[in-house]
Amino acid sequence: MLITSLVMSLNQLLPVAILLVLLQVVKKQSSLRICSAVLIGAVMSFLYMQSASWVSQWFEHQGLEYSQIGLCITIFIAVLVFALKQKSAAFYIAVISTVTLYLSHYIIYLTSFWQNSDAGQSLFIGTLLGSGICLSFSVLLYFLMNTIKYRFGMYPLFTLLAFNSAAKLLVALDLASQIDLITNTSTVWDLRDVLSENSELGRVLRALVGYEATPDLMSVLIYSTSSVLFLLLCYVIPASITKERV
Amino acid sequence: MFYPSQIIIPANKKVKLLIENQDSTPEEFDSFDLNREKVLYPNRKSIIYIGPLSKGHYEFFGEFSPNTARGVVIVSDEEAQHANN
Repeated sequence: MLITSLVMSLNQLLPVAILLVLLQVVKKQSSLRICSAVLIGAVMSFLYMQSASWVSQWFEHQGLEYSQIGLCITIFIAVLVFALKQKSAAFYIAVISTVTLYLSHYIIYLTSFWQNSDAGQSLFIGTLLGSGICLSFSVLLYFLMNTIKYRFGMYPLFTLLAFNSAAKLLVALDLASQIDLITNTSTVWDLRDVLSENSELGRVLRALVGYEATPDLMSVLIYSTSSVLFLLLCYVIPASITKERV
Repeated sequence: MFYPSQIIIPANKKVKLLIENQDSTPEEFDSFDLNREKVLYPNRKSIIYIGPLSKGHYEFFGEFSPNTARGVVIVSDEEAQHANN
Protein backbone atom coordinates (compact mmCIF):
# COMPACT_ATOMS: atom_id res chain seq x y z
CA MET A 1 0.00 0.00 0.00
CA LEU A 2 2.93 2.32 0.80
CA ILE A 3 4.52 1.81 -2.62
CA THR A 4 1.15 2.05 -4.36
CA SER A 5 0.42 5.34 -2.57
CA LEU A 6 3.86 6.64 -3.49
CA VAL A 7 3.47 5.67 -7.16
CA MET A 8 -0.10 6.99 -7.28
CA SER A 9 0.89 10.33 -5.75
CA LEU A 10 3.81 10.65 -8.18
CA ASN A 11 1.62 9.79 -11.18
CA GLN A 12 -1.06 12.29 -10.26
CA LEU A 13 0.96 15.12 -8.70
CA LEU A 14 3.94 15.22 -11.05
CA PRO A 15 2.03 16.42 -14.15
CA VAL A 16 0.49 19.24 -12.07
CA ALA A 17 3.85 20.21 -10.57
CA ILE A 18 5.59 20.19 -13.97
CA LEU A 19 2.95 22.40 -15.58
CA LEU A 20 3.06 24.84 -12.66
CA VAL A 21 6.86 25.09 -12.94
CA LEU A 22 6.80 25.63 -16.72
CA LEU A 23 4.13 28.33 -16.50
CA GLN A 24 5.99 29.95 -13.62
CA VAL A 25 9.19 30.11 -15.68
CA VAL A 26 7.31 31.59 -18.67
CA LYS A 27 5.99 34.34 -16.43
CA LYS A 28 6.36 34.42 -12.67
CA GLN A 29 3.05 34.45 -10.84
CA SER A 30 2.43 35.67 -7.31
CA SER A 31 2.20 33.10 -4.51
CA LEU A 32 -1.40 34.18 -3.92
CA ARG A 33 -2.33 33.47 -7.55
CA ILE A 34 -0.66 30.05 -7.51
CA CYS A 35 -2.24 29.07 -4.19
CA SER A 36 -5.70 30.24 -5.21
CA ALA A 37 -5.51 28.39 -8.55
CA VAL A 38 -4.40 25.16 -6.85
CA LEU A 39 -7.03 25.56 -4.13
CA ILE A 40 -9.85 26.15 -6.64
CA GLY A 41 -8.53 23.17 -8.62
CA ALA A 42 -8.60 21.01 -5.47
CA VAL A 43 -12.21 22.03 -4.78
CA MET A 44 -13.13 21.32 -8.42
CA SER A 45 -11.41 17.92 -8.13
CA PHE A 46 -13.45 17.11 -5.07
CA LEU A 47 -16.71 18.14 -6.79
CA TYR A 48 -15.70 16.22 -9.93
CA MET A 49 -14.89 13.17 -7.82
CA GLN A 50 -18.22 13.41 -6.02
CA SER A 51 -20.13 13.45 -9.30
CA ALA A 52 -17.83 11.07 -11.20
CA SER A 53 -19.69 7.90 -10.29
CA TRP A 54 -22.87 9.48 -11.69
CA VAL A 55 -21.20 11.10 -14.71
CA SER A 56 -19.52 7.79 -15.57
CA GLN A 57 -22.92 6.33 -16.47
CA TRP A 58 -23.74 9.05 -19.04
CA PHE A 59 -23.58 8.33 -22.78
CA GLU A 60 -23.58 4.56 -22.29
CA HIS A 61 -20.93 4.52 -19.54
CA GLN A 62 -18.72 7.00 -21.43
CA GLY A 63 -19.48 10.24 -19.59
CA LEU A 64 -16.17 10.42 -17.75
CA GLU A 65 -14.13 10.10 -20.93
CA TYR A 66 -16.06 12.94 -22.58
CA SER A 67 -15.49 15.21 -19.59
CA GLN A 68 -11.79 14.30 -19.43
CA ILE A 69 -11.34 14.88 -23.16
CA GLY A 70 -12.86 18.33 -22.61
CA LEU A 71 -10.40 19.04 -19.79
CA CYS A 72 -7.40 17.91 -21.87
CA ILE A 73 -8.33 20.16 -24.79
CA THR A 74 -8.98 23.05 -22.39
CA ILE A 75 -5.50 22.61 -20.88
CA PHE A 76 -3.83 22.66 -24.30
CA ILE A 77 -5.64 25.84 -25.37
CA ALA A 78 -5.14 27.61 -22.02
CA VAL A 79 -1.40 26.85 -21.95
CA LEU A 80 -1.05 28.05 -25.54
CA VAL A 81 -2.87 31.30 -24.74
CA PHE A 82 -0.71 31.76 -21.65
CA ALA A 83 2.47 31.21 -23.67
CA LEU A 84 1.31 33.79 -26.21
CA LYS A 85 -0.31 36.44 -24.03
CA GLN A 86 0.63 35.65 -20.43
CA LYS A 87 -2.93 36.39 -19.31
CA SER A 88 -3.73 35.45 -15.74
CA ALA A 89 -7.10 34.00 -16.80
CA ALA A 90 -5.26 31.50 -19.01
CA PHE A 91 -3.00 30.60 -16.08
CA TYR A 92 -6.01 29.98 -13.85
CA ILE A 93 -7.83 27.86 -16.46
CA ALA A 94 -4.72 25.78 -17.23
CA VAL A 95 -3.88 25.09 -13.59
CA ILE A 96 -7.46 24.49 -12.42
CA SER A 97 -8.16 22.11 -15.32
CA THR A 98 -4.91 20.20 -14.76
CA VAL A 99 -5.47 19.89 -11.02
CA THR A 100 -9.07 18.76 -11.64
CA LEU A 101 -7.98 16.17 -14.20
CA TYR A 102 -5.18 14.60 -12.16
CA LEU A 103 -6.04 15.23 -8.52
CA SER A 104 -9.55 13.78 -8.82
CA HIS A 105 -8.04 10.34 -9.48
CA TYR A 106 -5.90 10.63 -6.39
CA ILE A 107 -8.80 11.86 -4.26
CA ILE A 108 -10.82 8.82 -5.38
CA TYR A 109 -7.93 6.58 -4.32
CA LEU A 110 -7.38 8.36 -0.99
CA THR A 111 -11.03 8.54 0.05
CA SER A 112 -11.62 4.90 -0.89
CA PHE A 113 -8.85 3.45 1.20
CA TRP A 114 -8.49 6.02 3.97
CA GLN A 115 -11.14 4.37 6.15
CA ASN A 116 -9.25 1.09 6.06
CA SER A 117 -7.38 1.26 9.38
CA ASP A 118 -4.44 -0.80 8.07
CA ALA A 119 -3.97 1.44 5.09
CA GLY A 120 -4.19 4.88 6.73
CA GLN A 121 -0.57 5.13 7.80
CA SER A 122 0.78 3.77 4.51
CA LEU A 123 -1.41 6.19 2.57
CA PHE A 124 -0.15 9.10 4.64
CA ILE A 125 3.53 8.18 4.39
CA GLY A 126 3.26 7.30 0.67
CA THR A 127 1.56 10.61 -0.06
CA LEU A 128 4.14 12.51 1.98
CA LEU A 129 7.04 10.81 0.20
CA GLY A 130 5.43 11.31 -3.22
CA SER A 131 4.77 14.98 -2.50
CA GLY A 132 8.37 15.40 -1.33
CA ILE A 133 9.77 13.81 -4.49
CA CYS A 134 7.47 16.00 -6.62
CA LEU A 135 8.61 19.10 -4.74
CA SER A 136 12.31 18.23 -5.12
CA PHE A 137 11.86 17.48 -8.83
CA SER A 138 9.94 20.73 -9.31
CA VAL A 139 12.62 22.83 -7.61
CA LEU A 140 15.35 21.25 -9.76
CA LEU A 141 13.27 21.69 -12.93
CA TYR A 142 12.50 25.30 -12.02
CA PHE A 143 16.16 26.26 -11.63
CA LEU A 144 17.18 24.25 -14.69
CA MET A 145 14.53 25.89 -16.89
CA ASN A 146 15.33 29.34 -15.52
CA THR A 147 19.01 28.82 -16.32
CA ILE A 148 18.14 27.64 -19.82
CA LYS A 149 15.81 30.63 -20.26
CA TYR A 150 18.47 33.16 -19.30
CA ARG A 151 21.13 31.46 -21.40
CA PHE A 152 19.19 30.48 -24.52
CA GLY A 153 16.02 32.57 -24.40
CA MET A 154 12.39 31.48 -24.41
CA TYR A 155 12.42 28.98 -27.28
CA PRO A 156 13.69 25.90 -25.37
CA LEU A 157 11.10 26.64 -22.71
CA PHE A 158 8.33 26.98 -25.31
CA THR A 159 9.49 23.73 -26.91
CA LEU A 160 9.16 21.83 -23.64
CA LEU A 161 5.82 23.53 -22.97
CA ALA A 162 4.64 22.57 -26.48
CA PHE A 163 5.55 18.90 -25.89
CA ASN A 164 3.97 18.96 -22.44
CA SER A 165 0.73 20.44 -23.79
CA ALA A 166 0.66 18.15 -26.82
CA ALA A 167 0.88 15.26 -24.34
CA LYS A 168 -2.52 16.30 -22.99
CA LEU A 169 -3.94 15.86 -26.50
CA LEU A 170 -2.45 12.35 -26.53
CA VAL A 171 -4.35 11.63 -23.33
CA ALA A 172 -7.52 12.94 -25.03
CA LEU A 173 -6.79 10.77 -28.06
CA ASP A 174 -6.35 7.64 -25.92
CA LEU A 175 -9.62 8.43 -24.15
CA ALA A 176 -11.38 8.93 -27.49
CA SER A 177 -10.21 5.55 -28.78
CA GLN A 178 -11.11 3.99 -25.41
CA ILE A 179 -14.76 4.89 -26.05
CA ASP A 180 -14.63 4.16 -29.78
CA LEU A 181 -14.88 7.80 -30.89
CA ILE A 182 -11.88 7.17 -33.11
CA THR A 183 -10.29 3.96 -34.31
CA ASN A 184 -6.78 2.97 -33.26
CA THR A 185 -4.31 3.04 -36.12
CA SER A 186 -1.27 0.82 -36.48
CA THR A 187 1.50 1.03 -33.86
CA VAL A 188 4.41 3.06 -35.18
CA TRP A 189 7.07 1.69 -32.85
CA ASP A 190 7.32 -0.56 -29.81
CA LEU A 191 9.90 0.60 -27.28
CA ARG A 192 8.60 -1.47 -24.34
CA ASP A 193 11.85 -3.43 -24.19
CA VAL A 194 13.99 -0.28 -24.37
CA LEU A 195 12.12 2.05 -22.03
CA SER A 196 8.90 0.92 -20.42
CA GLU A 197 6.33 3.54 -19.45
CA ASN A 198 6.11 1.69 -16.15
CA SER A 199 9.77 2.40 -15.29
CA GLU A 200 10.83 5.42 -13.21
CA LEU A 201 12.33 7.24 -16.18
CA GLY A 202 9.36 6.26 -18.34
CA ARG A 203 6.95 7.77 -15.83
CA VAL A 204 8.93 11.01 -15.57
CA LEU A 205 9.17 11.31 -19.35
CA ARG A 206 5.47 10.56 -19.64
CA ALA A 207 4.64 13.40 -17.23
CA LEU A 208 7.19 15.73 -18.83
CA VAL A 209 6.68 15.22 -22.57
CA GLY A 210 3.99 12.52 -22.88
CA TYR A 211 6.30 9.60 -23.64
CA GLU A 212 4.48 6.54 -24.99
CA ALA A 213 6.31 3.28 -25.66
CA THR A 214 3.72 2.05 -28.18
CA PRO A 215 2.13 5.04 -29.90
CA ASP A 216 -0.12 4.57 -32.89
CA LEU A 217 0.12 6.58 -36.09
CA MET A 218 -2.67 8.98 -35.14
CA SER A 219 -0.96 9.77 -31.81
CA VAL A 220 2.36 10.53 -33.52
CA LEU A 221 0.64 12.78 -36.08
CA ILE A 222 -1.44 14.68 -33.49
CA TYR A 223 1.56 15.06 -31.17
CA SER A 224 3.87 16.39 -33.89
CA THR A 225 1.24 18.62 -35.50
CA SER A 226 0.08 20.19 -32.24
CA SER A 227 3.67 20.73 -31.03
CA VAL A 228 4.65 22.38 -34.31
CA LEU A 229 1.48 24.50 -34.30
CA PHE A 230 2.18 25.57 -30.71
CA LEU A 231 5.77 26.58 -31.56
CA LEU A 232 4.79 28.28 -34.82
CA LEU A 233 2.27 30.45 -33.02
CA CYS A 234 4.92 31.36 -30.45
CA TYR A 235 7.23 32.39 -33.31
CA VAL A 236 4.55 34.18 -35.33
CA ILE A 237 3.15 36.23 -32.48
CA PRO A 238 6.20 38.23 -31.50
CA ALA A 239 4.70 39.78 -28.37
CA SER A 240 5.06 36.51 -26.55
CA ILE A 241 8.77 36.39 -27.31
CA THR A 242 9.82 40.01 -26.99
CA LYS A 243 8.07 40.49 -23.66
CA GLU A 244 10.20 37.89 -21.98
CA ARG A 245 13.35 38.13 -24.08
CA VAL A 246 16.41 38.50 -21.91
CA MET B 1 -8.48 -9.11 -8.79
CA PHE B 2 -9.67 -9.22 -12.37
CA TYR B 3 -11.76 -12.17 -13.48
CA PRO B 4 -11.00 -13.47 -15.99
CA SER B 5 -7.42 -12.30 -15.66
CA GLN B 6 -6.56 -13.64 -19.09
CA ILE B 7 -8.52 -12.44 -22.09
CA ILE B 8 -7.89 -13.92 -25.51
CA ILE B 9 -8.95 -11.80 -28.47
CA PRO B 10 -8.41 -12.06 -32.22
CA ALA B 11 -5.72 -10.02 -33.95
CA ASN B 12 -6.62 -6.89 -35.92
CA LYS B 13 -10.12 -6.64 -34.51
CA LYS B 14 -11.64 -4.05 -32.23
CA VAL B 15 -13.04 -5.52 -29.00
CA LYS B 16 -15.43 -4.02 -26.48
CA LEU B 17 -14.67 -4.93 -22.87
CA LEU B 18 -17.56 -4.63 -20.43
CA ILE B 19 -16.11 -4.53 -16.92
CA GLU B 20 -18.18 -4.69 -13.76
CA ASN B 21 -16.59 -3.72 -10.47
CA GLN B 22 -18.25 -5.98 -7.91
CA ASP B 23 -16.10 -4.67 -5.04
CA SER B 24 -17.14 -2.05 -2.51
CA THR B 25 -14.12 0.11 -3.41
CA PRO B 26 -13.20 1.71 -6.72
CA GLU B 27 -10.39 0.44 -8.90
CA GLU B 28 -8.61 1.87 -11.91
CA PHE B 29 -8.13 -0.27 -14.99
CA ASP B 30 -4.71 0.72 -16.24
CA SER B 31 -2.55 -0.52 -19.07
CA PHE B 32 0.58 1.06 -20.45
CA ASP B 33 0.66 -1.57 -23.18
CA LEU B 34 -2.86 -0.78 -24.34
CA ASN B 35 -2.76 2.95 -23.51
CA ARG B 36 -5.91 2.62 -21.46
CA GLU B 37 -6.86 4.11 -18.08
CA LYS B 38 -10.31 4.13 -16.53
CA VAL B 39 -11.70 4.36 -13.01
CA LEU B 40 -14.09 1.50 -12.22
CA TYR B 41 -16.63 2.59 -9.63
CA PRO B 42 -18.03 0.10 -7.12
CA ASN B 43 -21.04 -1.82 -8.39
CA ARG B 44 -20.94 0.01 -11.73
CA LYS B 45 -20.30 -1.19 -15.24
CA SER B 46 -17.69 0.38 -17.50
CA ILE B 47 -16.89 -0.05 -21.17
CA ILE B 48 -13.42 0.05 -22.70
CA TYR B 49 -12.65 -0.53 -26.36
CA ILE B 50 -9.31 -2.05 -27.26
CA GLY B 51 -7.69 -2.88 -30.58
CA PRO B 52 -7.25 -3.54 -33.41
CA LEU B 53 -4.06 -5.08 -32.03
CA SER B 54 -1.28 -7.13 -33.51
CA LYS B 55 -0.34 -10.53 -32.05
CA GLY B 56 1.21 -10.44 -28.59
CA HIS B 57 0.67 -10.06 -24.87
CA TYR B 58 -0.70 -6.80 -23.44
CA GLU B 59 -0.66 -6.49 -19.66
CA PHE B 60 -3.20 -4.57 -17.60
CA PHE B 61 -3.48 -3.96 -13.86
CA GLY B 62 -5.54 -2.23 -11.21
CA GLU B 63 -3.69 0.95 -10.35
CA PHE B 64 -5.12 0.96 -6.82
CA SER B 65 -4.07 -2.65 -6.19
CA PRO B 66 -1.24 -3.31 -8.65
CA ASN B 67 0.12 -6.35 -6.80
CA THR B 68 -3.09 -8.36 -6.77
CA ALA B 69 -5.20 -7.02 -9.62
CA ARG B 70 -3.30 -8.01 -12.74
CA GLY B 71 -4.26 -9.48 -16.07
CA VAL B 72 -3.23 -9.91 -19.64
CA VAL B 73 -4.86 -9.55 -23.02
CA ILE B 74 -3.54 -12.20 -25.38
CA VAL B 75 -3.97 -11.34 -29.01
CA SER B 76 -3.80 -14.38 -31.24
CA ASP B 77 -4.51 -15.25 -34.83
CA GLU B 78 -7.08 -17.80 -33.80
CA GLU B 79 -10.66 -16.87 -32.99
CA ALA B 80 -11.11 -15.53 -29.47
CA GLN B 81 -12.08 -18.11 -26.93
CA HIS B 82 -12.66 -15.90 -23.93
CA ALA B 83 -13.24 -12.44 -25.34
CA ASN B 84 -15.54 -10.32 -23.25
CA ASN B 85 -17.80 -8.89 -25.89
